[in-house]
Amino acid sequence: MSNGQSDPLLQMETTCGSLLYELQIIWDEVGESDAERDRMLLELERECLEVYRRKVDQANRCRAQIRQAIADSEAELAAICSAMGERPVHIRQSDQNLGNLKEELRAILPQIEEMRKRKCDRKNQFVEVLEQIQKLKHELSNSSGYISTTLVVDEADLSLRKLEELQREMLALQNEKSERLKQVLDHLNSLNSLCLVLGMDFKQTVSEVHPSLGDPEGSKNISHDTIQQLAAAIQKLREIKIQRMQRLQDLAMSLLQLWNLMDTPLEEQQVFQKVTCNVAASENEIVEPNMLSIDIITFVEKEVSRLEELKTSKMKELVLKKKSELEDICRKTHLIPETDSSLDIAIEAIESGAVDATYVLEKIEVEIAKVKEEAFSRKDILDKVEKWMVACEEESWLEEYNRDENRYNAGRGAHLTLKRAEKARVLVNKLPTIVDALASKTSSWENERGIEFTYDGVRLLSMLEEYNILRQEKEQERKRQRDQKKLQGQLLAEQEALYGSKPSPMKNQSTKKGPRLSCGGASNRRLSLGGTILQTPKHDMLHSTKATPNTRHAKKNDRLSHDNPTRDDRFQAMSSGRRGLDIAGLPLKPHSLNPTNAHEIELPIMRKPFSPISSTDSSKSKATNILEDLNTKHNEMLQKTLTSNNTSPFTTPSKTISTMDEENRTPKTMAIPMPSTPSTVSVPMLTAITPAPCVPKSMEDEDIEYSFEERRAGFVLPKDHRKSLVQI
Amino acid sequence: MTAVPQSTGRELTSPPTDGISNLRFSNHSDNLLVSSWDKSVRLYDASANALRGEFMHGGAVLDCCFHDDSSGFTACADHTVRRLVFNHSREDILGRHDAPVRCIEYSYATGQVITGSWDKTLKCWDPRGSSGQERSLIGTYTQPERVYSLSLVGNRLVVATAGRHVNVYDLRNMNQPEQRRESSLKYQTRCVRCYPNGTGYALSSVEGRVAMEFFDLSEAGQSKKYAFKCHRKSEAGRDIVYPVNSIAFHPIYGTFATGGCDGYVNVWDGNNKKRLYQYPKYPTGIAALSFSRDGRLLAVASSYTYEEGDKPHEPDAIFVRSVNEVEVKPKPKMLPNPAT
Repeated sequence: MSNGQSDPLLQMETTCGSLLYELQIIWDEVGESDAERDRMLLELERECLEVYRRKVDQANRCRAQIRQAIADSEAELAAICSAMGERPVHIRQSDQNLGNLKEELRAILPQIEEMRKRKCDRKNQFVEVLEQIQKLKHELSNSSGYISTTLVVDEADLSLRKLEELQREMLALQNEKSERLKQVLDHLNSLNSLCLVLGMDFKQTVSEVHPSLGDPEGSKNISHDTIQQLAAAIQKLREIKIQRMQRLQDLAMSLLQLWNLMDTPLEEQQVFQKVTCNVAASENEIVEPNMLSIDIITFVEKEVSRLEELKTSKMKELVLKKKSELEDICRKTHLIPETDSSLDIAIEAIESGAVDATYVLEKIEVEIAKVKEEAFSRKDILDKVEKWMVACEEESWLEEYNRDENRYNAGRGAHLTLKRAEKARVLVNKLPTIVDALASKTSSWENERGIEFTYDGVRLLSMLEEYNILRQEKEQERKRQRDQKKLQGQLLAEQEALYGSKPSPMKNQSTKKGPRLSCGGASNRRLSLGGTILQTPKHDMLHSTKATPNTRHAKKNDRLSHDNPTRDDRFQAMSSGRRGLDIAGLPLKPHSLNPTNAHEIELPIMRKPFSPISSTDSSKSKATNILEDLNTKHNEMLQKTLTSNNTSPFTTPSKTISTMDEENRTPKTMAIPMPSTPSTVSVPMLTAITPAPCVPKSMEDEDIEYSFEERRAGFVLPKDHRKSLVQI
Repeated sequence: MTAVPQSTGRELTSPPTDGISNLRFSNHSDNLLVSSWDKSVRLYDASANALRGEFMHGGAVLDCCFHDDSSGFTACADHTVRRLVFNHSREDILGRHDAPVRCIEYSYATGQVITGSWDKTLKCWDPRGSSGQERSLIGTYTQPERVYSLSLVGNRLVVATAGRHVNVYDLRNMNQPEQRRESSLKYQTRCVRCYPNGTGYALSSVEGRVAMEFFDLSEAGQSKKYAFKCHRKSEAGRDIVYPVNSIAFHPIYGTFATGGCDGYVNVWDGNNKKRLYQYPKYPTGIAALSFSRDGRLLAVASSYTYEEGDKPHEPDAIFVRSVNEVEVKPKPKMLPNPAT
């Protein structure tokens, strides 16, 4: 190589020598002076130096340039490394000389190149993460659709640590996002179920909160605001649900009550089974779609109001019915319904809705109970009033009939009228008794209660009084007529004496009528009636017996010889005997005796029934039995003799004991024909209209009856029981 | 008793040794429950004529009734109400009254036992709570007088007491009587029995008379009531009157038999007011009657009821006679009656 270099130099030296030589020849020829020649040579020398100097400067400058480049590269490398948080691996050791400068430069350049590439990669990573973060943040923070595109990456710090930091941030944000999404979905779910139950449009409800939520596929807005709005919406719907549920349950309750009240058929109930089964359900138990929709509620509401209407109409009906029942009872018992007008008002009030029908119903029920109770206490007297009324009617009919001159003309049905007249006469004879019994009963009733006994609003006692006065007047009238008749009779007799007899039909009539009226003989056929007939009053006789009870028997026996009236008497006697028997519970068998020899036979048999009673009891019971017998008899008389006060004249029973034997021995026979009939033929019953209870009250007061079983068992009522008996 | 003609029916063997207080057929079979003054309750199979069981009590047994076919109840003079189980010869005490218990009924409608006593009360019992009075007693209802007779139909209970009181109760509301009545008859009540159709009751007295009453208090209802005389004997123009101890309604035809101290059993048609039949006289008074469940048999207790105190009398006997339809079937009203 040196050869190669030396060659041009050598060549250059030969050319310079040859040129110098040539210059010498030229100069020799020209003949230049030596001075000139020297100066020429110096110049040449100076010029050559100049060229050298210039070349060196140039080389020097180039070297400096290379050095600068190396330093720059190294600095850049260092910067990149520090930014990326890496150790600057390739920093050149100053002592480590790798050769000349150009080599050095060449070595450093690829390094830089690589570092630059890595840096760029890193930066891209950063940008990506940051973008994500920004997006997430945006999603989470608010709903504004604008996303800022300016991304500022801090070039100075692109270290992995920073990247990791950013990534962590991103993850957190992602988590938050998914959480929110879940929340939103949850909310949407519950919102959906609520909407379903309430029968609302879910999409519409949701779009109202945020338009993005209505889209089933698209992304949902998950900002805080949205969630809060969703929660609020849910809360609102839940409130509506509870409200509706309560409404529905209220309705269901009233439905059930109404059904129960009105016995609604099951088919009708079936329709609302769905509703009524939720009566006791809690808010979250009601999940059935449309269960609480407005439609259902209005449907149920309508049914309830329909039933309600039905109920009020029924109620009204009931009230009216009860009212008519009350009026009916009042009418039947001849009471004047006092509260009539107030009830009318009440019914108007129901119609206008001012008063609850149940209240009115209750009031009427109370009224009815009151009236019923009163009716019960009045029943006895009313029965008697009824009887009295019937008797009065018969009386007036009889009067009318008696006035009819043609009444005995035989014609169709005349025998029936005759019969009726017979009965009516009996009844009329009993009238004073009935009136007085009624009066005494009424006054005792009034005393007991302290109120007036009214009959269709008129005081019964005054009615009776009026009737008595009327009757007396009639009596007087009748007497007057009789006197007149007597006068006529006398006149007739006189005429008779003068002109011979000619029986007057009028006279005949009066004699025929007379005995019937006085003794009620016509009623003999009706003796089977028993009790009622016993009261046929025979004033004169009864008065005497009342005065001297012990003479009665004798008198009666006297009367036995007479034919007609005795029957009546015997009957009376028999009945009293029977009554005594009832009281004492005596067997009836032995008492069917012939009245004429009553004394002889009856005594021994009388004793017999008492024999089973233990010796200690017998005397007492016998005494009481007899006493009762007496008392009842007297009470019977009292009734007959129409004493209005109830106090018995017998205050001390011991006084009357002497009479009892006599009384007990009264003959007991019944002159009732009873054909014995063959057993195979059906026989009509011997029926009679059941007599109203007309047994004197005092009979129950003082006696102690015993059944056969009680006497056999030796059962005796304790003393205190007896006392309580008297009160009854 | 063998001398008694067949027409009185078959006499049961081993009858009670003292007065018969009541007898009743079962609702399920031809078993017959008989209570007696000899302190015994006997269960017979009437169709087989066999004594199936006997219970002895502490006092005279005044009434008895069936619960179901295998058990029954008794009312005893020792104040006690008992339940008897026939198969096991077991007896439980349901409770006690303050005086002898006169009558007892079992209500199928309410499942209650109802007893009436001379202590002037009515008591209702639940037979299932047999372990003591405090558990079995449902209620005590004071009556105006000693209870003499009870009868049930459906939810109606008729109580007849001394003093001729008659109380009609609704078993569903025992607090107070539905109706308080006085007997239409003037003499002591012997027996009360409800019509099987539930519209009223028949009531008999010691004075040969039976009243037919109706629950319906309306005028139309009450106009149907009447009373008639029976169990009387007229001798030489005089009437002898006997107590009517027992009434038994035929379960199918609604006609009824009455038994009196005269020893006769009469069968009546209450609607047509006719006597249908009179059975031949029994040896002594009729204490109790009962038709079997199908009305084919009639049990007759011929037993002296002490109406005349302690005196010699025919032995007590139970006759079971088969009932001919002619004897109990109502005859139409239209038939001309030879008696009128």
